Amino acid sequence: MKPLRIALTKGRLEKSTVELFENLGYNCDEIHNKGRKLIMNVGDGQFEVVLAKAADVITYVEHGVCDLGVVGKDTILENGTSFYELLDLGFGKCRFALAVKKGYNFYHGYGAKTIATKYPNVTRKFFEGKGMDVRVIKIEGSVELAPLVGLADGIVDIVETGSTLKANNLEVIETVTDISARLIANTASLKLRKKEVEDLVILISNEKH
Amino acid sequence: MKKNIKITPEGMRDYLFKECTAVNYVCRKLKKVFENHQFHQVITPALEFYDLFSNEASGISPESMYKTVDNSGRLIAVRPDSTLPIARLVSTRLQKEAFPVRLYYNQSVYQNNPTLTGRNNEILQMGVELIGSTGKRADLEIITTAVQSLQAVTEDFRLEIGHSMIFNALMRELSADDGTKERIEEYIENKNYSALGDILDSLEQNETVKAIRKLPSLFGGEEVFENAEKIIKSREALDALSYLKELLSSLSTLGLGDKITVDLGLVQKNDYYSGIVFSGFVPGYGDAILSGGRYDNLFDMFGCPMGAAGFAIYINYIAEKARYKSKGNVADVLIFAKEDKDIMSAIAYTEELVSSGVKAQFCVLSDEAQARDFANRLGIKKFEVVGG
Repeated sequence: MKPLRIALTKGRLEKSTVELFENLGYNCDEIHNKGRKLIMNVGDGQFEVVLAKAADVITYVEHGVCDLGVVGKDTILENGTSFYELLDLGFGKCRFALAVKKGYNFYHGYGAKTIATKYPNVTRKFFEGKGMDVRVIKIEGSVELAPLVGLADGIVDIVETGSTLKANNLEVIETVTDISARLIANTASLKLRKKEVEDLVILISNEKH
Repeated sequence: MKKNIKITPEGMRDYLFKECTAVNYVCRKLKKVFENHQFHQVITPALEFYDLFSNEASGISPESMYKTVDNSGRLIAVRPDSTLPIARLVSTRLQKEAFPVRLYYNQSVYQNNPTLTGRNNEILQMGVELIGSTGKRADLEIITTAVQSLQAVTEDFRLEIGHSMIFNALMRELSADDGTKERIEEYIENKNYSALGDILDSLEQNETVKAIRKLPSLFGGEEVFENAEKIIKSREALDALSYLKELLSSLSTLGLGDKITVDLGLVQKNDYYSGIVFSGFVPGYGDAILSGGRYDNLFDMFGCPMGAAGFAIYINYIAEKARYKSKGNVADVLIFAKEDKDIMSAIAYTEELVSSGVKAQFCVLSDEAQARDFANRLGIKKFEVVGG
């Protein structure tokens, strides 16, 4: 049997996922000593793990070259289209929030507001839900800068502790949505390898509780 | 130099040599299955009026169509689907035919997919439509044809069967505004199960919401029916469920075991399908390679209501896999005419060899050294000179 191939989001989610696998009793030595390797074996040949940037995890899973993926809800909301979301893994918790300069009355007046963000789709959907027509500007780096220099009225970004916002005299005025890591599956893989995937899902759910 | 003359538009590609052999091989196999079932081929135009596809029931989004205008300024779409043109054709030109009619097609459809996703925008498709009949016999005939088609072109596959009335009945019972319902439909059709979960969270939690949430996970063997009966309360949905059960037990005589399964979350083009729906999967490809179902309401828009069912198979991926098995077609012998006066006798000699079953090719080069080099590069083993 071919191993199930799992795409992991590099960085923080990778660490938590490896921990989870080790708690389940799967050998993760190859990930710890990966060197320059891109595809690693986990467990007793049951799994093959690849590491990728968050948005690429979704791409690999959607195309079916990886059966499963571990990725943040933020990335799913921004890039996701067609796959199964199997589980909330409970780690990588943070939230999407709307933040403005401290004391700024965001909803005041009739002028169209400008929002700077790394997540234009999430932002558009959020304001569409409010029936508000806003101008969205995509920023690649530190979004906090935009309202400070006068490019935007507010930002929509991921907030963990809020300390970056505080240091820049910004404040959260609304939570857009809460975020955590999710286990996703390719649609065809779930059909063709139902048993293996379901067994893993049950193992993980039991471990969580 | 013009910028775009050396590249193709995104999602388009050329097919060369073995790729064509593979496509032809797959098409030939499917044609045989279709014709054995007495389906007859039709060809519809690549361009149709946009109106044909813009109907809400078509399930085709305006953004995904390639559009142009005709010389009266009317909006034209490049065929994004073959079923609607065939429905148009049947309801206008085959009125006097003995129904049901069995039609098949082998033509590309065009979808303007989001940029940089690596998907084919020109999709080679073959499919059948069984038009003018409803009920179990027609459903089983169409499913059996689908199974045989998959068997003809792939070694391993899964065919998943669902019923659109299960989801439709649940949606009718759901108390939510139209906008929310539309979004739920969109999410479940696009298999965007994460967004589906989020939107269901925002509704009042009751039996119906619970059932809709469970629906995508209700797939597999016999056990699905048991689990579904526990959470589905609607009479109409339960009727659909027991019909599915009946079909599955009939299909079990094909002896395919777990290759045919149930999937109650299989919801596609929801306003379009009105009965059974099914999808085929093969290992190594992340999406369905066959999809179809019963669409009894489609003919209403042409003013001649009748039952119909059909399916389409996406050739691209199956052919890609078949390519590695196909041998290229290289000539065994290259025939070279020494002088211009020898050309006609060399051509005649080539013809003679070909009709006796030898793979011979007349060389159109006039320089012998060049011709010999050409034979080498192609791997043609024998080089024969006529005249001199």
